[in-house]
Amino acid sequence: MLVPIFTLKLNHKINPRMVTVGKYDGKHPCLTCATTAGKVFIHNPHTRGERGGRMEGSADTDISLLNINQAVSAVCAGRLDASKPNDILMVGTQTNLLAYDVDNNSDLFYQDTPDGSNAIIVGHLGSIDTPLAVVGGNCSLHGYDYEGNDPFWTVTGDNVCSLAMLDFNGDGVNELIVGSEDFDIRIFKEDEIIAEMTETETITSLCKMMGSRFGYALANGTVGVYDRTARYWRIKSKNQAVTINSFDLDGDGVPELITGWSNGKIDARSDRTGEVVFKDNFTNAVAGIVDADYRLDGQQQLICCSIEGEVRGYKAAPQEMKGNLMDTNVEQETIRELSQRKQNLLLELKNYEENQKAAQSSRPSGLGDLDQGQMGIIPANTQLQTTLQVNHGKEGKAPHVELNVCTTNDTVVRAVLIFAEGIFEGESYVVHPVNVGVSSSLRVPIIPPKDVPVDLHIKAFVGLRNSNQFHVFELTRQLPRFSMYALCGGDVPEPKSSVVFQVNERVQRVLMWINQNFLLQEDLVCPGALDARFMSLRGAGPLCVKMETNGQVTIKTDDMDVAAEVIQSLALFLKIEDLQVTADFPDEMEALRLTLIKVDDFHAVRQKLTAEMADHSNLIRSLVVRAEDARLMGDMKNMKKGYMELFDLNKDLINGYKIRCNNHTELLSCLKQVNQVIQKAGKLRVGKHKTQVVNACRDAIKNNNASSLFKIMRSGAVTS
Amino acid sequence: MMELNLSRVDYLQVGITSPKSLKLLPPAGKKDPTQKVVVADHNGVLQCFSLKKGEPNHVFKTLPGNKMVRVELGGPLGQVREKIFVATGPEVKGFNKKGKQFLGFDTNMSESILAMHVEGADLFVSGNYIYNHYKDCKDTNYYLCQDKVNDIIVLPVERIPEIMPVLACQDRVLRVLQDSDILYEVETPGPPSTLCMYAGTGGDEGNEILYGTSDGRIGLVEIGRTMASPRRRLAPSHRWELPNEKRNGGVLCLDNYDMTADGILDLVVGRDDGLVEIYGYDEADEPILRHTTTCSESVTSVQGGRVANGTFDEVVCTTYAGWVIGLTTHTMTEKATGPGGARVVDRDVQAKIIHLRQEMEALQQKVIQEREKYQVTAQHKNAISAVPQFNINDKFVLNKEDASYTLSLEVQMAIDNVLIQSDVPVDLLDVDKNSAVVSFSACNPEEGNYLLATYRCQANTTRLEIKVRSIEGQYGTLQAYTTPRLQPKTCVVKQYPIKPLSLHQRTHVFDENRPNCSLKLMGNFSLAEIHSWVTFCLPELPERTPAGDTAVFHFVSTFLDTQLMCQYKKGEGLFKSDNISTISILKDVLTKEATKKKIRLDISYDINEESVAHLLNLIHPKLEYQLVLAKKVQIIDALKELQVHESDTSFLSAEYQQILQDAEKLQEEYKKQPCCLERLYGMITDLFIDKFKFKGQNVKSKVPLLIEHLDNYDLGQLIQFFNASG
Repeated sequence: MLVPIFTLKLNHKINPRMVTVGKYDGKHPCLTCATTAGKVFIHNPHTRGERGGRMEGSADTDISLLNINQAVSAVCAGRLDASKPNDILMVGTQTNLLAYDVDNNSDLFYQDTPDGSNAIIVGHLGSIDTPLAVVGGNCSLHGYDYEGNDPFWTVTGDNVCSLAMLDFNGDGVNELIVGSEDFDIRIFKEDEIIAEMTETETITSLCKMMGSRFGYALANGTVGVYDRTARYWRIKSKNQAVTINSFDLDGDGVPELITGWSNGKIDARSDRTGEVVFKDNFTNAVAGIVDADYRLDGQQQLICCSIEGEVRGYKAAPQEMKGNLMDTNVEQETIRELSQRKQNLLLELKNYEENQKAAQSSRPSGLGDLDQGQMGIIPANTQLQTTLQVNHGKEGKAPHVELNVCTTNDTVVRAVLIFAEGIFEGESYVVHPVNVGVSSSLRVPIIPPKDVPVDLHIKAFVGLRNSNQFHVFELTRQLPRFSMYALCGGDVPEPKSSVVFQVNERVQRVLMWINQNFLLQEDLVCPGALDARFMSLRGAGPLCVKMETNGQVTIKTDDMDVAAEVIQSLALFLKIEDLQVTADFPDEMEALRLTLIKVDDFHAVRQKLTAEMADHSNLIRSLVVRAEDARLMGDMKNMKKGYMELFDLNKDLINGYKIRCNNHTELLSCLKQVNQVIQKAGKLRVGKHKTQVVNACRDAIKNNNASSLFKIMRSGAVTS
Repeated sequence: MMELNLSRVDYLQVGITSPKSLKLLPPAGKKDPTQKVVVADHNGVLQCFSLKKGEPNHVFKTLPGNKMVRVELGGPLGQVREKIFVATGPEVKGFNKKGKQFLGFDTNMSESILAMHVEGADLFVSGNYIYNHYKDCKDTNYYLCQDKVNDIIVLPVERIPEIMPVLACQDRVLRVLQDSDILYEVETPGPPSTLCMYAGTGGDEGNEILYGTSDGRIGLVEIGRTMASPRRRLAPSHRWELPNEKRNGGVLCLDNYDMTADGILDLVVGRDDGLVEIYGYDEADEPILRHTTTCSESVTSVQGGRVANGTFDEVVCTTYAGWVIGLTTHTMTEKATGPGGARVVDRDVQAKIIHLRQEMEALQQKVIQEREKYQVTAQHKNAISAVPQFNINDKFVLNKEDASYTLSLEVQMAIDNVLIQSDVPVDLLDVDKNSAVVSFSACNPEEGNYLLATYRCQANTTRLEIKVRSIEGQYGTLQAYTTPRLQPKTCVVKQYPIKPLSLHQRTHVFDENRPNCSLKLMGNFSLAEIHSWVTFCLPELPERTPAGDTAVFHFVSTFLDTQLMCQYKKGEGLFKSDNISTISILKDVLTKEATKKKIRLDISYDINEESVAHLLNLIHPKLEYQLVLAKKVQIIDALKELQVHESDTSFLSAEYQQILQDAEKLQEEYKKQPCCLERLYGMITDLFIDKFKFKGQNVKSKVPLLIEHLDNYDLGQLIQFFNASG
């Protein structure tokens, strides 16, 4: 059994996912964690240096505290300055990023990050020479070098939750892996997205494994491993995976995926199969897992921290243990497993035997009702039929996709369970009608929240009306990507906005795409030019897909998001690598213009408030001095007056703070909107044009050039 | 203290087993100390085997038949017990150790035998309610019990010549009998599920009995015997009782065996959540836990002995799914690593694995064939698909500690998923033990669904435990659809009633001195009818109509500790409780039930105004404790932050310092009782509404005012508010 080689009680709470380890003097690794009350602590058991400046130390421990004075949202240590051997500590808060040189006790830089910083990673990205600290915020990614410049800047679909760096495509340089709240994992080769994988929940953690493999964890308790775009394995637990890391614990030369869970469990899983090779338990939730040579004996240790400040270090197992870290008796386990499988087969066999027996005995006389109820006997040729169709909804019932499940005879469907990911609140949806309402058919309303293809794993309990045993019919149906759009006739008004582009394909190919990706009762046919009109069931208005015989495609919809999804899906189907479009979204552009004005306003308000605050603090100083003077002089009347004024001022300050807070959240949501529009504008294009648009928009924003921003979004190219 | 290390070895798998259906035969002779295993299963197979090099070697194996539920050993008084007795249906069969049947005795009982004890020529059996005593297969004594009999034991006849059978009954008592009459009852803290003589022989005087309850407690009780003198000493004396603080599963079997090799027999316990525990005894003869092993399936029998090897002690267990397992002191892993660290795989074990694999392959082929055949029959018009129903070992019990229900489901195969559906509002609570992924589906009360949840189980899960919290007054049914991973896939639905007074528990005491309210029903109904209505309202009542003219049952609320007495006979029913809400719920439900049967009821009630203050006083300590706890937990974080800032916390008040010190304990306590405060608020609100309902006033509009009072809690003011309103 593998046991920890050291345990520490740090007596400080540790915020989940805010644990890092850095060699701040270039030699000695120090565990660094964010704790409550806007502080970061550094555990340095190796040297006891002098303190001062930001750092305040307690004399009797190895811990020094950094006051950040704001809620910390991310910490990361790494070599930001390639010319020096020591690591720099990066601390992110919702408004700022601090790069701090612990060894010299000085700030490297202190940046405003209005987009917040949810995740930070330090490393070499792509062909950029200097190491960067990449900060993921609300829809944005910034890469800062050691001087605080940001040579890397791009936007992404939603708030960034997790980051990792690894050589994804084997080109010798690192790509950036970004997990975000819209369930997507995106791979950035510098600022170009080279791959996108859709998961089923917010991606809370990412970590580099060996080669092009990386581990991921979702907010719903799933962890797994990808090799490039292919998922190797995944498992789901009822607990939440707080953090993941990779470490070769069994000493076989391949790192395992180490997961820290919310119930305090830690497990190490084989990167190929997901099989658990080691597990241990903390009494509290795990906060972070890092690896470092903490004992300075030349070997890396796996260091796990709990939220209550308990730290355990594990050493990789020696060769003799042969990867058997849990003291299991392999032979006994094998025997148990084999016997279990044997038992299962025997039971299945028994089922068939009994079935035949029942069949024979039923022939002449027929089985009684009681038997039928008991065994849930149904005709062997019972089939389960399923159809998917669009239901426009009616009063009190929102439009939805309807799954109709019915049997082919007088057997009844007692209940239907649908397991599918990402479209229900949990992982399943159940329809269980009241006893008297049970019939041979059942309707299941489905409202997928996003335009993604989903596999529906359907389990239907089929039996007789009074049975207590049911046959379980299992089948899988795919919900096409654009199932929430209903086909309409030609009388639907055309939306104002449109996207126009040219493809080198026949109309029939695009028609095929429509037939595959929309939920249609029968395939569309179209001899000449294509004009298909749909109505969004989510209330986003009509969607028209038109194509002339000369290859000009027009997509009309007022929702830029929908247009972007359609283009991405179509491009994938037609295998188009680069696509430039002309986009005309008057409404969205008008909204963007208003947002930009609002952003300016908020900035102005912020400046004004900051100035006010400075004024107030000056006033406070003088008031305190005056009141204290009065007290010393024994002039109680004036002292009272002074303190009364101070009290009022304090109230004003608090009010001002509240306004500033509101202002800030508003600003944040506006900035997010801007970032999202840029992202959408990018997604209207494919390949290099996509990157171009994003970069050009970014420049326009930087130069505060709104009119050119609109032009870029429209034409997709930088105009002189 | 010696550390006890046990390794698990699987011997073989039989069919589903009932509790206590495995015994170890006494060693054959002095030369050979190893013992043979006798086990019976639901397929009706009785088998006896010894172990040769870890391989089971059958002495005999009977042909399948009716399901066997119990194995006992017997023999002439004073001699070795090596005769095997098996209970199957209403029959008792006797086999000698070679497997020859020497007895086939049909008891002609109207119920199947569920428990059995053999003592010399005396045979004691019990069904659900019936107890029978046969001497030389002649019916001698008979007793009809008021509630279900779970187990039966008889004090050793060699030492106590007057035959004293003890029945473990579901209504939380041990009934001590003499001939056909009840001598007296011993109350136990939970429904006793299994009995065992202390130290195998019943202690110094042969009258000490160990019992295990279905809510996980274990106790030792000394059965006082009849004395010749006119002042008869009949009172039982409770020696010790182990509470179930960790909320482990119910006890299914007990045994005494010296596993720690210290000369004193230890107590071996098997529980229905798969735990096997070994307790030693300290100087004061109080049990102390020495060892636990988890088997993940219900442990139906435990027996200490030496089976695999003559030198190593072990505990042989059976599980519900039929595994016969040895937990041996023989360390297996050491053996597995030979010299030089290289792994030497035991040759016997390897042969076993190869053999198993071959068997598997053959089976697999056969299964594929059969599967195809099954598919082909699906084409026929008249063919049917009939899959035999699998057994579910289920339990739905009320926990006294936190006033919630535990539902446990266990099947022989791995469970794929379980769907829980309820037509009453209930809360599902998380259970640490289960690893299944739960998902709550949106549901519509109009379709009769207040809860729809799926549990998707991890591979190899055969047992699932779910915790359910109900609200008194809201009643209906909870249904569980269990689908195992077995082709052709089927699922079985089980129903569990959530009764109107679901949080009440049977007891045997009633305090007349409390300010009680009463409800009196008169009407043209039979005893059976009113009994069925009361059974509909309250849990833990026997379904059978009680014998005699009048039935009396006492209950206590697990949540509030209020009491309830039900006393009814033909045409009349009287209910007394110190909680107005209880009376109100009873009144509503009973009226409804009677109306269904079109029986007119004359209802009169006597509401004792004092009961309100009494109940509020009863709740007071709980409420105050919870309020203080919530307050303390709230400031822990802030205090901790102060602690980080200041190196010295001595400036804090003593109270705050205490909170800091106990922080972890407080948080744990708080976590243990989620929503306790909300539940108490709910109870008080119900009380408020019910009090005035009996006065014919609707005070729903005043509830917000009440909540305000609760938020600024003060007992005196609250009582005043109750009195002043209306």
